[in-house]
Amino acid sequence: MKATWFFIRKELLESWRNYHLLIITVVFVIFGIEGPLMAKLTPDILKMATGSGLTIKMPDPTSIDAWQQYYKNMTQIGIYILVVIFSGTISNEVAQGTLVNLVTKGLPRYSVVMAKYIVAYIQWCLAIMMAFLISWGYTSYYFPDNRSPHIWSGMWPLLIFGLLFVAITILGSSLSKSNYMGFLTSVVVFIVLTLLNLFKSTGRYNPIALVTDNIYLIKGTEQISHIMPAIWITIISTMVIIYLSVLSLKYKKL
Amino acid sequence: MNNADIITNNLPLFIPLIILEVGLDLAALIHIFRHKNYRMGNRILWVLLTLLVNPIGAILYFIIGREQY
Amino acid sequence: MAILELHDVKKRYGDKQVLNGLSFAVPEGSIFGFVGDNGAGKTTTMKMILGLETIDSGDILIDGQKVHYGNSGVNREIGYLPDVPEYYGYMNPTEYLTLCGQLTGISKEDLSIRINQMLKTVDLPINKRRIHGFSRGMKQRLGIAQALLNRPRILICDEPTSALDPNGRGEFLDLLASLRGEMTIIFSTHILTDVERISDQVGILHDGILKANDSLDNLKKKYAKSQIVLKFDSDEIANQVSQILGDSATRKDKKVILNYDGDYQAVAESVLNMLLKSHLIPMSMDKQEASLEDIFMEVTS
Repeated sequence: MKATWFFIRKELLESWRNYHLLIITVVFVIFGIEGPLMAKLTPDILKMATGSGLTIKMPDPTSIDAWQQYYKNMTQIGIYILVVIFSGTISNEVAQGTLVNLVTKGLPRYSVVMAKYIVAYIQWCLAIMMAFLISWGYTSYYFPDNRSPHIWSGMWPLLIFGLLFVAITILGSSLSKSNYMGFLTSVVVFIVLTLLNLFKSTGRYNPIALVTDNIYLIKGTEQISHIMPAIWITIISTMVIIYLSVLSLKYKKL
Repeated sequence: MNNADIITNNLPLFIPLIILEVGLDLAALIHIFRHKNYRMGNRILWVLLTLLVNPIGAILYFIIGREQY
Repeated sequence: MAILELHDVKKRYGDKQVLNGLSFAVPEGSIFGFVGDNGAGKTTTMKMILGLETIDSGDILIDGQKVHYGNSGVNREIGYLPDVPEYYGYMNPTEYLTLCGQLTGISKEDLSIRINQMLKTVDLPINKRRIHGFSRGMKQRLGIAQALLNRPRILICDEPTSALDPNGRGEFLDLLASLRGEMTIIFSTHILTDVERISDQVGILHDGILKANDSLDNLKKKYAKSQIVLKFDSDEIANQVSQILGDSATRKDKKVILNYDGDYQAVAESVLNMLLKSHLIPMSMDKQEASLEDIFMEVTS
């Protein structure tokens, strides 16, 4: 347990010195601003595109548009940027041989997996929360309407989805010496889950619901209880996948 | 309404956005010019990507272009 | 008492039987030179001792305790210096050693004192310079510092000198020799002069077993023939001498090489007497020491 804690501190230092924390902060602050900004500009841009002489009937943007933009940014680019950053976390150390010294000094291999998972997940939460808070601030300033009453219910599922998505990246990273395996594994899993979602009946159980239904949760047209099965499946698969990662590293030649 | 109006009407949104993006690009450019070796690509590629593909170029440079140690 | 024992250890990679019933013991406090060709299985053996590699069959005991793959319990007794030590380049030496010390369970108060002490021992500057910019030799010295940090009872070094220049090699061997008595040192190498310089005990690994395991003096007595080399002014004189000395002597240009058994002094005296009688005066006379290289050739042939 102590070893895991020491390795967590090493991981945090690494993220800081490798500029990963900095990049995540900058990128997700940008995303936080972009949501409300795009919502606000879209009518103007459309107006310019159709020519300024014409006056077309455009509904005024609402807080829903801002949040829609936020979740689009998060689930289409944001989480992939995070996954690219985490992708090499184990493979890189195995390829370089940096773990040899520490393992012979008594660092258990499961501690490596646990520490890396925890630090990656902390960064996931940091990124999502930061963008969320900024987006929230601007949205309530520019769109003080009551169309999105349940903003927190929309955000929690994204954090829970991170549990699984980060675990998959870590597993991918523990399987190969290639730095891109973690990223690839996550992308493949995401695609598979999206395809499964075409069968509407599985929707409640598919973890992908945690990143597709957010806007309905915010509006209140869908209750969190509807996707509860997906939440449980996400948490259980996370534990299985972390266990597999620990096994994978256990028999890895360092 | 023109481009300038759009920006002046939304200063609270644009100012931090511009500061961040310019700052990120500058940081990437400084880092590119202070290092000779990259994990992949070369100097010209990274300078062009940083300047032309905003802000993804700079982000990509820091994540996969920068030599890691 | 043996601090490290291997009993009938076997290891196979695919079709290749790397270790074929390897057994040996290393007495506590000795400097054990582990010699063998590249690919003989030295690194594999060391990694098995460290629990970094699975063992197909057989036992490895450290101070009587069995080594298990992935088990770190006994590892705290061992310091390990890999052939190419790899670090986190973004850390400075103090930070890296702190991480190592924390993992081995050195208390906070001791640790910073110990780190400064170790950095002085291996002659690395105590500053904020990151490991990223270190030379090969500096990394090797940091490797020693991390290996010795928790005062292990056994130090295992894998080919520690192969990547160093002659100067660095000499310094490194002196450093190892200065640890004599403080701990048991096992080091592998294919550079035989390194072993001759500092080892008490030599093990020669060949064909998956230890072909020889003894002190250097005993090995010399056992394997190498004693020789006297006489050098003369011309080929002719040398030829004459080799005829006088008989079958045990061979001529090579101006040199005559004499194989003998028993005491050097007695043999040398009689040889000199014979030469004086014939008025044949050598330019030089050498007692030839058997080198480890000769022994190695003989053992592995």
